[in-house]
Amino acid sequence: MLSIKNLHASVEGKEILKGINLEIKAGEVHAIMGPNGSGKSTLSQVLAGNDAFEVTEGEITLNGDNLLELETEERAREGIFLAFQYPVEIPGVSNLQFLRTAVNAMRQHKGQDEMNAAEFMKLAREVSKQVDLDPAFLKRGVNEGFSGGEKKRNEILQALLLQPKLAILDETDSGLDIDALKVVSDGVNALRAEDRAILMVTHYQRLLNHIVPDYVHVLAGGKIIKSGGRELALELEERGYGWLGIKDEETADSSAN
Amino acid sequence: MKPAPTLSTAFLHPAGQSLPEPLLALRKQRGTALVDMPLPTRKTENWKYSSKYLKLTDDMAISLPAEGKTGSSLAVPGYKVAFLNGVMMPEACEYPDLDGISIKSFGDLSDEEASDLADRLDSTLDNKAVQMARLNSARFEDGLLIRLKPEAVLDQPLFIVHEVTAEASGSAFPRIFVDAGRHSQITLVEEYISSGSAQVMVNTVTEFNVADGANITSIRLNMEGENVQHIGSTGVLQQRSSRFESHTVGFGGPLRRHDLQVRLEGEGAECKLNGVVVTQGTQHYDNHTTIEHVAPHCNSEETYRNIAADKSHAVFNGRIHIHQDAQKSNADMNNKNLLLSNGAEIDTKPELEIYADDVKCAHGATIGQLDEISLFYLVSRGIGRRQANVLLTMAFINELVEQIPIDAAKQTALTRLNTFFKQTFEQQ
Repeated sequence: MLSIKNLHASVEGKEILKGINLEIKAGEVHAIMGPNGSGKSTLSQVLAGNDAFEVTEGEITLNGDNLLELETEERAREGIFLAFQYPVEIPGVSNLQFLRTAVNAMRQHKGQDEMNAAEFMKLAREVSKQVDLDPAFLKRGVNEGFSGGEKKRNEILQALLLQPKLAILDETDSGLDIDALKVVSDGVNALRAEDRAILMVTHYQRLLNHIVPDYVHVLAGGKIIKSGGRELALELEERGYGWLGIKDEETADSSAN
Repeated sequence: MKPAPTLSTAFLHPAGQSLPEPLLALRKQRGTALVDMPLPTRKTENWKYSSKYLKLTDDMAISLPAEGKTGSSLAVPGYKVAFLNGVMMPEACEYPDLDGISIKSFGDLSDEEASDLADRLDSTLDNKAVQMARLNSARFEDGLLIRLKPEAVLDQPLFIVHEVTAEASGSAFPRIFVDAGRHSQITLVEEYISSGSAQVMVNTVTEFNVADGANITSIRLNMEGENVQHIGSTGVLQQRSSRFESHTVGFGGPLRRHDLQVRLEGEGAECKLNGVVVTQGTQHYDNHTTIEHVAPHCNSEETYRNIAADKSHAVFNGRIHIHQDAQKSNADMNNKNLLLSNGAEIDTKPELEIYADDVKCAHGATIGQLDEISLFYLVSRGIGRRQANVLLTMAFINELVEQIPIDAAKQTALTRLNTFFKQTFEQQ
């Protein structure tokens, strides 16, 4: 599904990713863990195609296609979905209008008919319930005045509507209380499918109690320094990042985590 | 030193004589006062950013003929008055005889009515601030007088379609005077459109005399063509506990100027002024508003948004003047501006003059671009860049468009906005 080879990326001339190699197959759930500033969010943004980040070396392919040649919207239509760490508030665009525009852009890309307002409303209401988001939120501006938890649920709502091939979840657990974490995790677990891969980026392992990964990778200093199964996350929980020779504070001042 | 340019004498000869005598006399007197009237230059403070767009040539001095095919066969969901080149077209007007409400062409007024009107024309406007409105007073060929008796309520909106047919160069001087009695209510939609391509000027004046407790809603849609220089002035005089609400949606042109002056003269009067302007290409649009808080306990709320694309130029000047006796005034002015291109220009100037000490007065003005992070968020969901730009640009003005209380007017504005978006973002 997704293949990353020797990926180097910089922001404003500063190299953040220094040679990432990662293979993700359909049906798998991968977790990338690492301290602040290790490059986790940069990796997510690069995959989604944020042009604030410059890829200087290496390649990314999705089902054999060169992802780096595609614009952000083309990547999305090919099945890349990024759940943002900090979802953007867009007053003046209703959530419903935003979601329907996105879903119809996907449908158009697949050669399907667009959904009319009534059809879409029905679908959106159902999926809202699935992530325990009051359908009243559909009428508000995109993420406008949503709490942290509501924003994260709105991200998962989008993933459920857009049915991506690869869902990247960037710190989806941050800012969630236990109940919200459960709702969000249930939503993510509902996404798990044979033909879909999930990449979770997280600082803490608590999310992984709810969404159990097949593989865990430790990212530090812009490289994956260790990979393993689920037990690696538990070990990190117990022993911190120190035993891997990572000084957390060394990179903690970097803003590009 | 080069002498300041003055209005060409060619503009001082009104042609049509089909008005009642008192109005002809008024027009003549106003015309005499215009001899050697200086034209605005870049040194004229309230025309600083716009004088370079004003291009009055002698061939534009002639009044456009008050005949021809009126294109305004447009069906409207309400009553209708049609102006063609500044003159009312009775055959295209549709309104019934209404109890307590009189809707009349200036040409149809009795001498007594005309004499009364002549005494009151220009009374709502500060002529020093709206120099160009004086030209209308010297040149109007016809006009619309709407009188509402106390308690009279117009049950449907009145659409006033101002059309100019620019087959040849010339000018049109439409004029409206609304006299709203105590506790009367009316909603007016003024729509400015054009056909033809010759260089023309539309110089229009609309006045509202608003008695105690009256409630006026005014919608103004400016959608004339690229050959039309438009200079509009609106004066509003408000008495005790009256309310005036205005919604302006304007599209740019070679010159677009609208002066809106509201005078809150009676206690407890309130006004709400909303404005949306979009410009593209090399277009221009200039909104100048003035709110005079003369009496105490009045409220004013003003929200204007400008969007400038390509190499266009938008101007906003919002003046709030709180007089010494206007204690407990509550004034809120907000102007936000969106530049869609590096070549576009927006000039904004809030002006507050406050002479009372117990008032609440807020103002804010910003100029910005579309937010890159919001744009990334939208496209990361598969939404195309063109559509994402449209969504974000529309988001900037949506709140104001949604507030337009007459659906047909809102739809007209939205249709025209969509054309703007199509042209502005088509390369994406």
